[in-house]
Amino acid sequence: MSSLQIQPLATLSPPSNSRCWQSVPHPSQPLIATACSDKTVRVFSLTSFTLLHSISGGHKRSVRSVSWKPHTKGQSVLATGSFDASAGIWRRVERGPEEDFTRHGRDDDEEEDDEDYQFSCILDGHEHEIKSIVWSPSGQYLATCSRDKSVWIWEELEDDNFETVAVLQEHDQDVKCVAWHPEEDLLASASYDDTIRLYREDQDDWVQVCCINGHSETVWCIEFEGSGMGEKDFRAQKGELSEEQIQHIELLERSGPRLASCSDDSTVRIWRRQPKEGADHANGHAGVPSIIRSFSVDEEWVEDAVLPQRHDRVIYSISWSRKSGLLASTGSDGKIVIYKERWKEQISNGVTAAGVDKVVNGIEAPSRHRMTEWVVAAELYSAHDVFEVNHAVWAKRCDKGRRSDDEEIIVSTGDDGEVKAWTVEEVKPQAGG
Amino acid sequence: MDRSKDNANPTILNASDLPSRRRELSAKKRDDGGTGLFDGLVPAYNYLNDPFDGPLSSSDSDDDSFEDIDEQEIYDLIAPISDPEHPLSLAELAVVNLPDIHVEPPTSPQSSISTVVVEITPTITHCSLATVIGLGVRVRLEQALPPRFRVDVRVKKGAHNTDDAVNKQLRDKERVAAALENGTLMGVIRKMLSTCE
Repeated sequence: MSSLQIQPLATLSPPSNSRCWQSVPHPSQPLIATACSDKTVRVFSLTSFTLLHSISGGHKRSVRSVSWKPHTKGQSVLATGSFDASAGIWRRVERGPEEDFTRHGRDDDEEEDDEDYQFSCILDGHEHEIKSIVWSPSGQYLATCSRDKSVWIWEELEDDNFETVAVLQEHDQDVKCVAWHPEEDLLASASYDDTIRLYREDQDDWVQVCCINGHSETVWCIEFEGSGMGEKDFRAQKGELSEEQIQHIELLERSGPRLASCSDDSTVRIWRRQPKEGADHANGHAGVPSIIRSFSVDEEWVEDAVLPQRHDRVIYSISWSRKSGLLASTGSDGKIVIYKERWKEQISNGVTAAGVDKVVNGIEAPSRHRMTEWVVAAELYSAHDVFEVNHAVWAKRCDKGRRSDDEEIIVSTGDDGEVKAWTVEEVKPQAGG
Repeated sequence: MDRSKDNANPTILNASDLPSRRRELSAKKRDDGGTGLFDGLVPAYNYLNDPFDGPLSSSDSDDDSFEDIDEQEIYDLIAPISDPEHPLSLAELAVVNLPDIHVEPPTSPQSSISTVVVEITPTITHCSLATVIGLGVRVRLEQALPPRFRVDVRVKKGAHNTDDAVNKQLRDKERVAAALENGTLMGVIRKMLSTCE
């Protein structure tokens, strides 16, 4: 069943004439930066969908990944990761108040500003191509990963003074993607070795705290769920909840934001952290003196869901909306798919109706009943004509046509060199249909 | 070069025994990988598949991308690729074989993406150049076929000691893209492809 429709809004112009890998929206401004195989980064306006800046002259090979530093004041800071094994930091002074970019009727003003992004510093250390680069939500750390099998964590002590705080070499192969937990200093990495690994700091050292084996092929992209999604996604729906559903919401609260992953095995999976015994939760917290508890940094992440399989080739990218909890995926088959999580239908005795298949010969499946299910809400074929789509991301809608402050668009990036914006609309049930 | 060849005495097929058919149409190159620079390196023996090298009418671009392309045409595109270590084509060495080429139609009526699967048979099981050969085949087809084709190049099962590792690399678009930015490797590939068209 589909309940949403993906409609073309704009093709950002001018398009590149070579493959583009990834487009990342600015955390506060109506901008999006695209990593291109022509060694440049293009910064487009999300109000006019036109090119504002082309950052070139830095990298000697494809730019594979970009990340905007969060919480910067008065300037934009962009980190770039390239196949030339280096990462770059670029800065640009932003004129004018950041707050009023959404105001109507002034979308030409900021584009007159032709001041360019200035190369600021280079981060050397990786031996081979950098595949992914991402700032931590606080802006304190920058993570990179590479075909050299390593994950590096950099800390910016002061402007342009970066220190390597960790070199993590747990993966057996090429590391494809890094992602930060939205609330904790917890880093995840995904690899060509088919695993996902998680790391956190333990007594001044970053260590692996979990290895997730679940995909059967290269894991291309991972992303954490947003913070506080219980207020925004299916959990926020009003209505009577069963005891089981209330317990499930509490479980998700204790687990914290989940992790989504996509793979060459054509699946998208959701992972959830098992709350630790004795960790903060409603009851039984006061009883155990923490000094006795043998504290371990190890975490256990379990499979929470496998999303309906709608891609028949490698899935390159997933994006988890911070506003709605909708998840979007795209890949080699050129499709964009949106998935939505919802409560499973309940039958009277509290057993989920769709969970009946889990009971075989009277033996329940070992895992708890799945309380929720993911359904396909929208499906778009040939988003970039016949080309592969390398990336799709949710972004705040900023153009004049936006219908609400909260409206989101999807921005996709393809092998055809194009970056496209798409609206996502509810499909109204047709009368008599 | 001191490197001794992995297989000094490969089995060679007679050119007249190779499957062929006059090509009625030929897919255009999307991107000239600079092969013209290597014209001087084209071995004189190889006129195997060079039916007409005049440029095709430029009209058959995107509009008629639904023209049928069959296994023989795929074979014709990759047969003349030179082996990286022997002065012979992949067809003559039976690295590429017509029965190991499959063109698969779109998996859904809403999709226009077809898949070309090519299984290569390296001359001996420990051939260290399997990845390079596979890369050459993939590059050749990606340059020559319309973009609606996805190209999957694999080592034929059992033909190579580390076929899973080779297959995984050949399947990984990002690694293939990075490899093609490597000048040395690209030089080898260009040389292999210089005997095409």
